[in-house]
Amino acid sequence: MKRTYEEINAKIQQGDAVVMTAEEAIKLAESKGIEKAAKEVDIVTTGTFGAMCSSGAFINFGHSEPPIRMKRVWLNGVPAYAGIAAVDAYIGATEEREDYGQPYGGAHVIEDLVAGKAVHLRATAAGTDCYPRKDIDTYISLRTVNQAYMYNPRNIYQNYGVATNSSERALFTYMGKLLPHYGNMTYSSAGQLSPLLKDPHLRTIGIGTRIFMGGGIGYVAWEGTQYKTTPRELNGVPVGSARSLALIGDLRGMSPEFVQALSFTGYGISLGIGIGVPIPILDEDIMRTAVLRDDQIFAPVLDYAIQSRGRKPIAEVSYAQLRSGTVELFGKKVQTSSLSSYYKARIIADRLKRMIEEKEFTLTRPVEQLPRERMQRALDVCSEEDVL
Amino acid sequence: MSKKKINLYFRPEQVNEAITYVLVKEYDLKFNILRADVEEKGGRLLLEVEGRPSQISNGIAYLQSIGVGVKELNEYVEKDLSRCTNCGMCVSICPADAIEMDRQTWEVRFDQSKCIACGLCVSSCPPQAMRLKV
Repeated sequence: MKRTYEEINAKIQQGDAVVMTAEEAIKLAESKGIEKAAKEVDIVTTGTFGAMCSSGAFINFGHSEPPIRMKRVWLNGVPAYAGIAAVDAYIGATEEREDYGQPYGGAHVIEDLVAGKAVHLRATAAGTDCYPRKDIDTYISLRTVNQAYMYNPRNIYQNYGVATNSSERALFTYMGKLLPHYGNMTYSSAGQLSPLLKDPHLRTIGIGTRIFMGGGIGYVAWEGTQYKTTPRELNGVPVGSARSLALIGDLRGMSPEFVQALSFTGYGISLGIGIGVPIPILDEDIMRTAVLRDDQIFAPVLDYAIQSRGRKPIAEVSYAQLRSGTVELFGKKVQTSSLSSYYKARIIADRLKRMIEEKEFTLTRPVEQLPRERMQRALDVCSEEDVL
Repeated sequence: MSKKKINLYFRPEQVNEAITYVLVKEYDLKFNILRADVEEKGGRLLLEVEGRPSQISNGIAYLQSIGVGVKELNEYVEKDLSRCTNCGMCVSICPADAIEMDRQTWEVRFDQSKCIACGLCVSSCPPQAMRLKV
């Protein structure tokens, strides 16, 4: 069985494409087998909603009268990076507002913009002959700015380590609150619904791939930062964080349902984003991975009490175990918590399915494939000669 | 037998009163201390009391008669449904098993009757959907 992107898109246009969410495709493959399922289904949709710290948005504010070349920029009090052209800035999701009673950061600014709210803009400048103005204090919204698009250097990690804590005290991490003495375990993947676990070697996902992003449309821009292909595989899927994607998408068209600021006590701010990726069923091989189940996908358990990049996994668990609510660790039953919302992942996979069925979304062949092999480098303190 | 959760407020000079002893001895009430704080401004005690309805109301009347502030509680924590993502971070944090994941719908279910007002779900909720009302 072989299928091309052109055939799939033609079927979408005719309203004949058979689209299923990964959960539905799993059930079909269980009852009819992979071969028949691959023949029947054209597209499998995936979804994930989780904290994605490496996110942010570029905004062009438009020129003031007289013009200003903004040097320092604050959006609702949150510093934005303005070391680019005159009225361009990048607001990073994890940047925080200082001297404020409650958690508020770049992610909140992005959520507010997406929700259609007014955002306070303050900027200062040195003043030049071409840009004489030295400060501005005003309001912007998605209606007033020229461009506002997310560019997220690292999103939708392919799998992720499970966090626990062997120490005497509670730890406050980006994996949530970790209770002492292996008091709980937190994980962050939609498992069998998660996009990059359903096409683990990225045969169909590459530069230019059109995706569901934050409720609107986005694209794969590049390999994500810390993209790596080296983790060991089980059932053809990496055990632990491996590939990731850099994503780009217009804030206009996104919805606060899928773009939500998150705050982790003792850690800081992050952005929750909903992403969905369609997997074209080009052959049986891609169907085989698209219908991998939670019990076939594994993640390493890491002890966050060890404050080192080299911490070794203390166990390996499947997403079926994690999702059951408790996992046995060293003879003790440990309760699990998810940081990524399976509830929203389902909604996203279903929403994307309907967008395709209603011809609002067609599939794209990658303009370039992402790297087949990539190691992740570490940062060491070394001399100038060492790095050459 | 019925159960009630009450929040008691003491002035600094009242913190030495053996009120729990009186509640047991005179009013035959069973209680569970859910939360206790003593500060400069006085003290606060969150109790779950169990007993016959008449005994509970007599016990409360006694507390009020000696000048202890009494506030009955039905709900401690409020969940903002528009912010809750149903991720489930709070599930393993809750020491009272008041929060559960519904494994059919993958929605987080919160049982107010089991809540002990510890507030741990509030500080651990990433989208800040939980608010303490106490």
